[in-house]
Amino acid sequence: MIYEQPKFSPGGDRYMLIEFGDEMNLDLNFMGQGLATALAGGTIAGVVETAPCFATTLIHYEPEIIGYDDLKREVEALIGSLGGSDDIEMDSRLFYFPTLYLDPWSRECIDDYRAKINPSKEYDPEFVARINGLTDVQQFVRVHSGTEYWAASLGFWPGLAFLMPLDPRCRLTAPKYNPPRTWTPQGTLSMGGMSTAIYPVASPGGYQLFGRTPVPIWDRERRFAEFEGDLCIFKPGDRLKFVPCSMEEYLEVERKVTEGSYKYNIVEYQRFSVRNYKNWVQRLDLNARF
Amino acid sequence: MFEVIKAGLETSIQDWPGRIGYWNKGFPPSGPMDSWSFRLANLLVGNQLGDAGLECQFMGPTLRFARDGVIALTGADMQARLDDVVVPQWESIAVRAGQTLAMSFAKIGARAYIAFGGGIDAPFVLGARSTFHKAGVGGIDGYALKAGQHIPVLVGQGRAGRRVKASARPLIRSDKRWDVEAVAGPNDDWIDAEGHARFLATDWKVSSKSDRTGFRLEGPQWTFTSKAYNKLPEHGSEPANILDQGYPLGAINLAGQTPIILVSDGPSMGGFINPYTVPSCAFWKLAQARPGDAFKFKAVSVQQAQAGAQAIKALCVEDSIEG
Repeated sequence: MIYEQPKFSPGGDRYMLIEFGDEMNLDLNFMGQGLATALAGGTIAGVVETAPCFATTLIHYEPEIIGYDDLKREVEALIGSLGGSDDIEMDSRLFYFPTLYLDPWSRECIDDYRAKINPSKEYDPEFVARINGLTDVQQFVRVHSGTEYWAASLGFWPGLAFLMPLDPRCRLTAPKYNPPRTWTPQGTLSMGGMSTAIYPVASPGGYQLFGRTPVPIWDRERRFAEFEGDLCIFKPGDRLKFVPCSMEEYLEVERKVTEGSYKYNIVEYQRFSVRNYKNWVQRLDLNARF
Repeated sequence: MFEVIKAGLETSIQDWPGRIGYWNKGFPPSGPMDSWSFRLANLLVGNQLGDAGLECQFMGPTLRFARDGVIALTGADMQARLDDVVVPQWESIAVRAGQTLAMSFAKIGARAYIAFGGGIDAPFVLGARSTFHKAGVGGIDGYALKAGQHIPVLVGQGRAGRRVKASARPLIRSDKRWDVEAVAGPNDDWIDAEGHARFLATDWKVSSKSDRTGFRLEGPQWTFTSKAYNKLPEHGSEPANILDQGYPLGAINLAGQTPIILVSDGPSMGGFINPYTVPSCAFWKLAQARPGDAFKFKAVSVQQAQAGAQAIKALCVEDSIEG
């Protein structure tokens, strides 16, 4: 649902959360990103930075410059002036990432969690397949890799992109770990709720694990030209396609990454039209799976 | 310039307020967890309040100075000695080339700060010198101090013999109990009335699995409103799961049933609810708490929380210095 009026809530003395709705769709993501873009121009004095996500924008503000109530009033006015998303047409890069689904490293991580924290934790791919009504993990791989993913926002960890499946027939859902893991291997492919993410480096985490890509999304030493001087490869509005690969292909890509000769597979000639996308979604049989 | 003889426990270079402006790419601000003590240390040695210094955790480092200068120690008491002479805290002291500062384990509190007249001269990464060692960003080469490193210090104007008045220092408690302010929200409407009452009535135990990323708390189970159960599948099926959202720094993040207070090196986004947020004026208490200590939360309004930060800022000024 998209709320009729956005919901404002405080986060301590310096943050405000604005919720535009409570579901994962492109319109809500454009509202969150659109408000962040409008605020980035210094429109409202006292706004330090923002963190937009699927259906929300978090604002970090300086209370010495603007109080909570004044900020709320000014943000409400700004939201009222933002247009709808149907007319948006934007450049959108498409990345192809070789991915080893059902890899041994995420299984090792799950085993470690089972050994140390929760012995009854079902293996993640089997669990996600079962709760989504899929036949087996092979169908899970087909469904998960059957769509392009939309980089809705960056956060949690440097360079981590929250990815939304663009094809509604490939929507899967999963709960997050309870309690979360204290470590996850770098490059692990994972999902929680309806979003997919790649862990940029070994880090704590709560998403279900089921694959791994050797392609770095974080480049601390600035080794790859495709990062264009940034430490993170993705920007909101990028798209990503996971291409299932074998262990041999995984190791070959990993070898090239290690020696610095890997070339990212990026398509840069396409524009993303929200109207065309919505028209296409309307024609789909949403009950179909791959 | 000083040489690291012993590194201590993840001693790191931090500046204040840290790496601000990259929350939307997932970079935490880092910076000193007890910025009150940190700012006072800089004030003592004549630096700008935010200049880069060291944060020491539980076990401090041993450092040998390569040139004369002025330093100050604040925060936790790590039983520092300069060439075997006890070093007073909350006071600027002169050090000479060749002298060794040796710190031990924290007797009271958990985090000590060392300011160096002139400030540490680490390279700026995304606008800050602060170390985010879990991602290898900032500080010297991205990580905590290592034995054998030579750390450059800029030239300063400080002088010895300046003291912070007792009334301007944070009162670091040794009775293992902390009253911690908390503002309800942003996701307080996911918790039922009993859950809120239980949160405020409980002595939450600080888990040993706590660090600069987050403070894990041990306590009773949480109970929820219908909002936590009647929701779309993209939120995830556990009651504390929410469609991923931005996290305020200081958020009390309910990871399943485990509350984790997200601090200086914490994540910027995720899919768990944040029923309460610890305001910035209480971060110093988190910084000085030790595993096993108890947190008792006190609900305050946004305005009270903002006044708390102002009150600390008003103490980090020249009027608080004597001598």
